[in-house]
Amino acid sequence: MVFNSIEFLIFLPLVVVLFYVLPQKARWLMLLAASCVFYMWFVPKYILILLVTIVVDYAAGLLMERYADQPRKKKTFFVISIVSTLTVLLIFKYLNFLTENLDQLCASLGMETHLMTHIILPIGLSFHTFQSMSYVIEVYRGHQKAERHFGYYALYVMFFPQLVTGPIERPANLLRQLHEEKKFQYENISKGMRLILFGFFVKMVVADHLGEYVDEVYGHLDEYNAGAIWLSMVFYSFQIYCDFFGYSTIALGSAKLMGFDITDNFKSPYLSKNIAEFWHRWHISLSTWFRDYVYIPLGGSRVKFGRWAFNILVVFVLSGIWHGAAWTFLLWGFAHGLLHIIEKALRDKIPAKESQSKWLKICIDALCVLKTFVLVTLFWVMFRATDFEHLKEIFVAAFTHTGRPETLSIKPGMWIYLGLFILSDIVLCNTRFDKWCDDKPLAVRWLIYAVLLFMVICCSSVFNFPFIYFQF
Amino acid sequence: MKKLLIRIGMVLVLLVLLNWVYSKWFFEKDLRKHSDIVELSWAVTDDSCRIIYVGESSNNHYGDEEDNHQKISDITAEYFPTVKMGDLTKEASHAQTYYYMLKHIPATSAVETVVVTMNLRSFGPLWIYSKLETPLRKQLVLLEDRPPLVNRFLLAFKAYPIKTEEEWNDIVFEHWRNDTFNIPNFPWRTNVDWDYGMYSYGWYDANGQKDWDVTALACHYIKTYAFRIDDDNPRVKDFDAIVELCRERGWNLVFNLMAENVDKANELVGKDLMLLFRLNRDYLLNRYGNLDGVTVVNNLSLVRDVNFIDQDWTTEHYYEEGRRIIAEHLAQTLRTFYPDDYRDPKTLKRDAGHYYMEETRTLDRQRPYGSTLVLTADSIRPEWSMVNVAFEVKKHDDLGHLVFAVEKHDAQGGKYVDSYEALPQVTKNDAWDFATFALPIDSAFRSSQRIKLYVHNFSESAVEVRNFDVSFRPAYLKARVKAQSYKSDDGNDME
Repeated sequence: MVFNSIEFLIFLPLVVVLFYVLPQKARWLMLLAASCVFYMWFVPKYILILLVTIVVDYAAGLLMERYADQPRKKKTFFVISIVSTLTVLLIFKYLNFLTENLDQLCASLGMETHLMTHIILPIGLSFHTFQSMSYVIEVYRGHQKAERHFGYYALYVMFFPQLVTGPIERPANLLRQLHEEKKFQYENISKGMRLILFGFFVKMVVADHLGEYVDEVYGHLDEYNAGAIWLSMVFYSFQIYCDFFGYSTIALGSAKLMGFDITDNFKSPYLSKNIAEFWHRWHISLSTWFRDYVYIPLGGSRVKFGRWAFNILVVFVLSGIWHGAAWTFLLWGFAHGLLHIIEKALRDKIPAKESQSKWLKICIDALCVLKTFVLVTLFWVMFRATDFEHLKEIFVAAFTHTGRPETLSIKPGMWIYLGLFILSDIVLCNTRFDKWCDDKPLAVRWLIYAVLLFMVICCSSVFNFPFIYFQF
Repeated sequence: MKKLLIRIGMVLVLLVLLNWVYSKWFFEKDLRKHSDIVELSWAVTDDSCRIIYVGESSNNHYGDEEDNHQKISDITAEYFPTVKMGDLTKEASHAQTYYYMLKHIPATSAVETVVVTMNLRSFGPLWIYSKLETPLRKQLVLLEDRPPLVNRFLLAFKAYPIKTEEEWNDIVFEHWRNDTFNIPNFPWRTNVDWDYGMYSYGWYDANGQKDWDVTALACHYIKTYAFRIDDDNPRVKDFDAIVELCRERGWNLVFNLMAENVDKANELVGKDLMLLFRLNRDYLLNRYGNLDGVTVVNNLSLVRDVNFIDQDWTTEHYYEEGRRIIAEHLAQTLRTFYPDDYRDPKTLKRDAGHYYMEETRTLDRQRPYGSTLVLTADSIRPEWSMVNVAFEVKKHDDLGHLVFAVEKHDAQGGKYVDSYEALPQVTKNDAWDFATFALPIDSAFRSSQRIKLYVHNFSESAVEVRNFDVSFRPAYLKARVKAQSYKSDDGNDME
């Protein structure tokens, strides 16, 4: 079930009402059933994959705790759990990619092989496997008690607001809240509704309208001039952000309706001054996952520069591969890692001067924000391209289609939607929409609701753009 | 909770206000943008049309080499020079779309008669669940009888079936697999069985090799036309809704059942498919032809293969002659509503190689022969290699024995007669029905000095024959030999 559908608009109120009507001890069952329905709305049979991961990791958690005093046994169960979860990920997400490349490799060696598989990726697999793994790692480290109630553990992995595209929740946050008794509070309903409304605006009005232009240009590169291609790159930067941010905001709002606080996934990432800051603001739940479970175990930053650079590259390449099984994603991750290393090296060589005037500092910060945005935008092209050939085609067109008359005709409404979003992103830089509304007078709040509601209903794109991160 | 109820009340007030704003300043623009069919309907008021022709691509001209680009509706209009006739033509649309088009014709319009295209193909799963359904259904969301804001909300939240091409195809296959024909002694249970039978046995070329192109075309005819229309068919419900709407608006309603390429269906697949054509046609004629205020014009078998533009696919795209034949047939029905406005423009000219005899003949014991066409060998062009013959038959009992005969006279005075049974194709007594034949022009045909084509009644029972239609044409199929038999899953042999 997708959030921007009539089905979800019927499903969510029903679940919320049932949640508050039912006694606490029955809520987990209702939420689990609702999450199953939510997930099975896509392709029902894929729930079996989820079930396998849940059963294995649930059992591993219990066994690791039972054998806490026998490190070797504990480690064995930990490894079994991680390997089995990664195997699921490998089969369903990476096997097509691996076999295709093996076929190509064999072909280049003069051998004809037909290893290529055609496995369809279950929706949200990368998200819930990572969430499941974070539980196992936390239990192994002793930071989290193993969950004894299978239903609660299954609900932790399957909690529908964040099931298919995150945020990737840690057990310390979500599993704990699932056990808490949530009482009906008007404030939760109000904040949840605000977030959902704002999320719909960002996804359906901004991201989907941008998607129309991006798809048009990327699908017909030959027909557009360089200006249109560069503009579509910028539009894609905002499209992917608004698409993912919109979804995460609706997820936050849906959970908030029932009193659950899930992790903020974004903090105005395009206002970052460097790539390190960007990753502190973009897809925060994934960045922190990699930081806690890969980067720090590799040695983090408390090592020599060369080793640190290696750690960074490993983390970013893995992050690229996490997104998608294609060389372009790997390149995208590598580019981010490399830029991170270069920026760090430059910062170490050229330390910031304390004596700068306020205005000069603002100007420099603005230039840094612009630089980071430009680089991130260029990197998004790798993300959007279907393969290296397509990537090359896009950049060649962007540099060579200079004399062509065909420009991209942008409707004025598009600029208004994008302008409103950029303004909101600046205003909400250090806060969240629901919290920002809190201290506004009633009339102002309702005026904002009216405008957002009108835009969501009357100005949203009529084209169907699935959430981009669904594919991961 | 009280606070929540107050807020809900405020939201409702806000929604009423937003609905007013949207209706006043935005709705019409959205309608033109997202439901452009409505513009066609609105144009009717300006035109003050009295007859409206509603249809899809079958109304249009597609023959690039043709000089005449008139639509069927344009040609029909020539028969009624004093009555303004307009058309609402939307490619790839169907009865559901027509319903919305008609519904949005303003009440102030001058429309008196509505001609609605009834396309047999559109009743089959291949069309009902086509990938085009997503954009078509999307167009209709804003046209529903609901407050405009609600319609726009439903459009924004995609309250129409969004399916990928694969998902639509799955539904089609589901129907092909599960919808049974339910005809006693019929050799095929489902479309899939039949399609597989044809695929397995298929067509062969002169060298005895499987001709996959022709076999694929035969399979395509099965996929397209092998279905039964029943009361649950979504298209039937759409046509029922059109009947109701026209009654409410006081319009004369004419369903124009479009011609399908029955010649090719007969030749490629054979009598089983012809039976389904007839059963489906009879269903539609019985359901709608007997209703007050509704007339069904039956063009189903009226256009010969040579007048279909697409020879390697199933469409209702006709060459000019085909369009004229349908227009003339339709005009005869419209004449009952506008007798004083009718003028025969005499525009219907048959192409070379197309012979037509309209007269009705009763073949009985005294006059057993009728509808005779005599040709000399030199009138058969070298490029022609097939002849399609069709005529209408009305029998009065089941005792008749009617054949279509080809009599070849050679230079030495010899006479050879090939005869083909016609009555097995006719299911009902006392009703006009079509008999069609597709015959190769073989060497015996070419070497004859004189060829006579006629209908012969061998029985005591009188049989009426009319609209004897003979059409010579070039070969479009490389293969000429159909597999001698092919089997259905239940083991019946087909010849």
